[in-house]
Amino acid sequence: MSARTSPGLAGDRRPAPPPALRVQDVTVRFAGLTALGAVSFTVAPGSVHALIGPNGAGKSTCFNVLSGLYRPESGRVLLGDTELTGLAPHKIAALGVARTFQNIVTTEGTVADNLMVGRHVLTRAGFAASALRLPGAVREQRAHRDRVREIAELTGLGDHFDTPVALLSYGDRKRVELARALCLEPRVLLLDEPVAGMNGAERARTAEVVSAVRARLGLSVLLVEHDMGLVMSLADEVTVLDFGRTVAHGTPDEVRRHPEVLRAYLGTPGADPAPAAAPAPGEDPV
Amino acid sequence: MSERIPKGAAALLTALLLCAPPFYLDAFWLRVGLFAMAAAIGAVGLGLLTGTAGQLSLGHAFFLAVGAYGYTWLAGEPGPGLPPALAALLAVLLAGAAGGLFSPVAGRVRGIYLGVATLALVFLGHHVLLTADSVTGGFNGRSVPALTLGGFSFSADGPAVTVLGVPFGAEERLWYLGLALLAGTWWTARGLLRGRPGRALAALRDSETAASVMGVDIARYRSAAFVVSSMYAGLAGVLLALAFRRVVPDYFGLTLSVDYLAMIVIGGLGSVAGATAGAVFVTALPLLMTRYADQLPLVATPGTTDGGVGPTEAARYLYGAAIVLILLYAPDGLHGLVRRVRARLRPAAPARTPESLPATSAVRAKEHTP
Repeated sequence: MSARTSPGLAGDRRPAPPPALRVQDVTVRFAGLTALGAVSFTVAPGSVHALIGPNGAGKSTCFNVLSGLYRPESGRVLLGDTELTGLAPHKIAALGVARTFQNIVTTEGTVADNLMVGRHVLTRAGFAASALRLPGAVREQRAHRDRVREIAELTGLGDHFDTPVALLSYGDRKRVELARALCLEPRVLLLDEPVAGMNGAERARTAEVVSAVRARLGLSVLLVEHDMGLVMSLADEVTVLDFGRTVAHGTPDEVRRHPEVLRAYLGTPGADPAPAAAPAPGEDPV
Repeated sequence: MSERIPKGAAALLTALLLCAPPFYLDAFWLRVGLFAMAAAIGAVGLGLLTGTAGQLSLGHAFFLAVGAYGYTWLAGEPGPGLPPALAALLAVLLAGAAGGLFSPVAGRVRGIYLGVATLALVFLGHHVLLTADSVTGGFNGRSVPALTLGGFSFSADGPAVTVLGVPFGAEERLWYLGLALLAGTWWTARGLLRGRPGRALAALRDSETAASVMGVDIARYRSAAFVVSSMYAGLAGVLLALAFRRVVPDYFGLTLSVDYLAMIVIGGLGSVAGATAGAVFVTALPLLMTRYADQLPLVATPGTTDGGVGPTEAARYLYGAAIVLILLYAPDGLHGLVRRVRARLRPAAPARTPESLPATSAVRAKEHTP
């Protein structure tokens, strides 16, 4: 299905930079409500691109379009030269686009079980091979489990590897999702509010993990986050959405001073130039 | 790692215990065991579909019928009269193919809706069994040809076999066949559940959205789970046919499908051991109550009408009550119950393996769609 190899199994070499992710004039409407109106932006290869905006701005809708859960009314999404629009979610995943969810969505079982789901597109063992425990399937499972353990260590979940996810703390469960997405060995990682609802220490830890994996694995990251401190410290570029439109675009510093952004976030133009942590995190209803 | 050796010893002991009954128990008990083993194979298959993949099926009786009648027709007269072992294999594949034919529905329809859709299969199957006389024998059914394997016959007709002074009749021989098939079922089902397909199915059960963005082809995996589940049902059907020695249409009704659902719920969804325990419970209970009706209070002896409840009805009441009790007090079934009791018995042991932990339910967060 995918011509991609799994770079992790070959050791810790740095893979070729990922292709650019281009969003071109994407429009999504729900029964008359325009959730996204001709939104365009490009996630440059290997960069961290933040997508910010108040609740209901269309950030999560945008993620759902990128991962194939929604089909846009018009516009295109391209990964390099491959068109993603219209592909089924599992095909997009096979092309190396992984995502996390705003609400934690994990599977019953241990951390290891959950992370192994992330290896799905990189593995082959089918029903017959697994049922009969053919040597190939067993070997594959073992090799990938080793790599998954490495990823667990990298994301600070090494100690919880065999713990059922349901017993973990909120912050750890959220990190399981992040680690699971990394298990796809993605070229583009979509993070939907990775630190929402976390306490300060957990936030700092997740921020560290994100910058560490980006440095080590060389992937592009598209980040939706309300925590402006995190956005400002991690992002290379920021796109601001409000009511489904792009209102500003630029480096974190440029965006911070943009009058439209201040109005969207604070309701009054020209107020405090550093909106700390704007709306309550983790309550985005879209 | 030190737990490995006792575990292996326990497995060996269990195997020895399971091999012992033909030497000590009479044909009645062996038949109870055989029906339980056949049911366990079917229940493991349904557990894979319902417990692991989260797809409800009320059509399990249909696939059992395909297996049972498939074998009977393929190995019998009228029919191609194939060697019975080949007929058994083909019957399992036939059940899988029947599941595959239904996969356009099974792959697209989710959860409870699939349950309703599969209802049609049971009625259709029952109608065909009654009307296709030349193949199924109609209302009176057909007698089942005995299984032979390399000259060894799994019936009392063949050359007499005596092991350690015990004459081996049909039940004794079939007992070991049943054990072998059940062991194969356990081995393959656990391989599936612990491998890539099992994880993918569990992921799509807990969140279709998350599974699809992890790269799981939802429709394909749903269909595949349905096909695999049908094949286990087909195998169970073959064993049932051999144990009954006669297949009749009325056995393969909706009640049978519901019984299988009861088995996996009582046993505990999503576990092979649970499905087996549930199958033994649901199968053995009515048979035992019928046998010991005269010794039970409030239960009438079969064939009498002196008030009281008939044994079959009493067994139904009891197992209805068991389902309600289990749903209320042990929603994770017998399997979860055992797990918790075990965890309580050794509180000092650190929570290292998932088996020793209290039952955990999946984290089913609201799916991320508006």
